[in-house]
Amino acid sequence: MSDRFPRAIELGLAGCQTCGKVSRLVLGRCPRCDSKLFMRKPDSVRRTVAFMLAAAALYVPANVLPMMSMIEMGVVTENTITGGIIYFWQGEAYPIALVILTASIIIPLLKMVALTWLCLAASGKIKPTPGTLSRIYWLTEMMGRWSMVDIFVVGILVALVQLGNYMTVSPGPGALAFAGVVVLTMFAAISFDPRLLWDRFNALQIDSSPSKEIDS
Amino acid sequence: MWNAVWKDWANYPSEWSLIHKMKKTFFRLRRELSPWPRLPGGAHFAACHFCDTLHEAEPLAEGKAALCRCCGEVLYQNRPASLARVTAFSLTALILMVVVNLFPFLVMDGAGIRTTLNLVSGAKALVASGSPLLGIALALFTIVTPLVLASGLLYVCGPLLFGKIAPGATHVAKWLNRMEPWNMIEVFLLGVLVSLLKLDKVADVNFGIGFWAFGVVMLCMAAAVSGIDRDELWDRLEVARK
Repeated sequence: MSDRFPRAIELGLAGCQTCGKVSRLVLGRCPRCDSKLFMRKPDSVRRTVAFMLAAAALYVPANVLPMMSMIEMGVVTENTITGGIIYFWQGEAYPIALVILTASIIIPLLKMVALTWLCLAASGKIKPTPGTLSRIYWLTEMMGRWSMVDIFVVGILVALVQLGNYMTVSPGPGALAFAGVVVLTMFAAISFDPRLLWDRFNALQIDSSPSKEIDS
Repeated sequence: MWNAVWKDWANYPSEWSLIHKMKKTFFRLRRELSPWPRLPGGAHFAACHFCDTLHEAEPLAEGKAALCRCCGEVLYQNRPASLARVTAFSLTALILMVVVNLFPFLVMDGAGIRTTLNLVSGAKALVASGSPLLGIALALFTIVTPLVLASGLLYVCGPLLFGKIAPGATHVAKWLNRMEPWNMIEVFLLGVLVSLLKLDKVADVNFGIGFWAFGVVMLCMAAAVSGIDRDELWDRLEVARK
């Protein structure tokens, strides 16, 4: 095992989550920025799962309930996320349809799948492949914000389209649910600790190394 | 006449011109403060954020990044002229944020009514039409967070440029770190574009000055936030505090 690099956890050292300084865990608080020191983010997997379940629960009303309702000459039309995409697709505005499809359906779904995968790997249910998985984690963290675009569109339309009796737009209950999904998945991603993947991976390698020696 | 003015201006010694002075100050500050200060006292370590592998934190040349030996992710990097850049870009962003909030983003003419949109009116309209939570979220992600982020960066990095530390800068720096993912101005800009296309058939929509200013704010904020590495900022804070 001499080819393995030393890890901070093996020496009782913790990298501060806020300022990056490596100091002894027994200090309790980071000497540089005075935030609490943790070996790993506290209750990382449990918190991630909790946030994700809440997000998944909200994902259903976010897609079923209308994002906004448009009142045009007294006629009310309610727009859901999928309705908006279909509207643009039929209007042959393919790029914009793809943008909305990616931001409001594909990204949240992929995010939830990715986080489930990460949590399973971090808790040892499936084989951890830390190289790929930390890339996936990084992507999840980066992409999450972009789902918010639909909420912003609702806000902009509500502010702009106030044309009296001719046409008004008001936000629907789906918008709030969708904003909840985005915020909760962002919290889920923030509370996940990618170092757990490497912990699992190294533990597995240490477990399997004696048998290798016996084989050879 | 302009030729005469030009000639007259050109006759001044170059040291007198404002641009020259700014350049000189910039390079002086850069020369004096540019190297990432070494922390006092022995070896320092950096642990990879992804795999927790321990490394001795070697000083880096400007523009170079240190990669993890184990997983290859970036450990820390030395951004060129980091403090000067962060100060300049966050100051620009702050000034332009005033412009963004004074001028409309989009101007819509439909059914004989002209409606304008800016950041505050978007949040206000959401609150007024019965979803205060959404309005608050919009205001938080597009007004409050960028404003706090830009002013915080200026507050922390501006005094550091002169080797001083502002009172409470460590607390501000802590909060900067936590707020960073919630800054969504580039997402809002995409939202503006999408709604522009959505409204294309309904009414005549035009960009206002606010939109262009917001685009520049977005670029400035991106440059300011990525202008300094977290480790470098905290090393500088630690050195300046002593």
